[in-house]
Amino acid sequence: MFFRVFTENFCSEKHSFLRAVSFIMKNLINFLIQYSVVFLFLFLEVISFTMIVKNQEYQKSVFLSSSNSMVSGMYEWSNSVVEFFKLRVANDNLSEENTSLKNQIINLQNKLSTLQKETHDSVHFKIPPEMEYQFIAAKVINCTTNKLQNYITLNKGADDGIKIDMGVISDEGVVGIVKTVSACFAVVIPVLNPKLEVSCKFKRNNYTGGLLWNGIDYRYANMTDIARHVELALGDTLITSGLTPAFPEGIPVGNIEDFKIKESDAYYKIKVKLAVNFRTLSHVKVINYLNYKEQKDLEKSSEEQ
Amino acid sequence: MPIVLQNIFRFILLVLAQVLVLNNVQFLGFINPYIYILFILSLPVLTPRWLSLILAFALGITVDAFSNTMGMHAFAAVLIAFLRNGTVKLFIALDEGNNPTPSFYTFGVSAYVKYIVVLVFIHHATLFFLEAFTLTNFWFTLSKIILSSVVTILLILGIQSLKTK
Repeated sequence: MFFRVFTENFCSEKHSFLRAVSFIMKNLINFLIQYSVVFLFLFLEVISFTMIVKNQEYQKSVFLSSSNSMVSGMYEWSNSVVEFFKLRVANDNLSEENTSLKNQIINLQNKLSTLQKETHDSVHFKIPPEMEYQFIAAKVINCTTNKLQNYITLNKGADDGIKIDMGVISDEGVVGIVKTVSACFAVVIPVLNPKLEVSCKFKRNNYTGGLLWNGIDYRYANMTDIARHVELALGDTLITSGLTPAFPEGIPVGNIEDFKIKESDAYYKIKVKLAVNFRTLSHVKVINYLNYKEQKDLEKSSEEQ
Repeated sequence: MPIVLQNIFRFILLVLAQVLVLNNVQFLGFINPYIYILFILSLPVLTPRWLSLILAFALGITVDAFSNTMGMHAFAAVLIAFLRNGTVKLFIALDEGNNPTPSFYTFGVSAYVKYIVVLVFIHHATLFFLEAFTLTNFWFTLSKIILSSVVTILLILGIQSLKTK
């Protein structure tokens, strides 16, 4: 008797519990359906926001950036049309570079001949290890200059020997550093991106500092870390310092356009006119520093010790 | 069916115009118009909201892939797709059983201009602040937003005024 009452009680309690649960569930489902658009909206916004924040990740940037083959294929096609109109300027630049190279050859030949006469039996001639470079010619197939974070896409990739962190220069001067590489394409972070700081120095007196873009004008960048005792003049030439393994020493970076210093400041505010015109950039060279791995490994191992 | 085809065609055309031409355009150094959002703005008014959100996301991600911006355009495009219905209700009263494609003819000139101005401004503001990701250069960013919005609005109104009914 008691047992029966208990089970009945229990069953009815169980029923009411189930009813309550189903009631809640129904409401919940109704709620979800009613606001499904809002949830979809929030979901998509969260996805896009995560993508913006995780921009750095390698795989994602290869998958969804202009080194993606379809996207870059199209850029290459559009570039082949635009390039035709730039041929004249490119030719001028090439011939200029040709003549300067020929001059260099003559100079070097002269030096070599004098060296051979004097020291043919004693000095074992050797290229300094930090000067062993090879150049890989590549073409710019996409280049922005008007964003806050600009990127350049090249039509050469891992198949042509391009690796991450290689330096990129043009005939005029420093362009940037390779960020990501796919089989046939590479994306470069140019000087026009606040993520890149190139170490450079004055040709005149060897003081080094960092070059950072201000995000406003593609022709100018700022230079930091020059203390107030350094003597400057308008028009002083800036070259790469050779302290980053990506660039050899002596590649032109730009000229001083303007500099300011307040009474209370310890460092100059220097405005640099960049040597490279990024709006007309078409042919570049990627620098393959042959001893890069050896230098990095050595530096790493000495840090660990 | 033709309205679906028309929208697919519009999608492709606007993305191509944006990435091949307008991304290389630079008035006065930093004004960069973004007319691809005309696709979202021209979807029929009664398009299911989930569909317009997903289309906006696809559009944004496509433009992102071409301009290396990773999610910024997607974010801004989804935002205006979400706000679009409210904006339409704000400016015009829709008749029952009517599903117009927004244009000068269906909305009337003043309502259509207001609709375009509000949504383009929201889109550009979101996009440029996401790009800057800081408030330090607030006035510079704001001037960029306003100038680019004006150019985009003029382009969109120009394109729309070429359309005959």
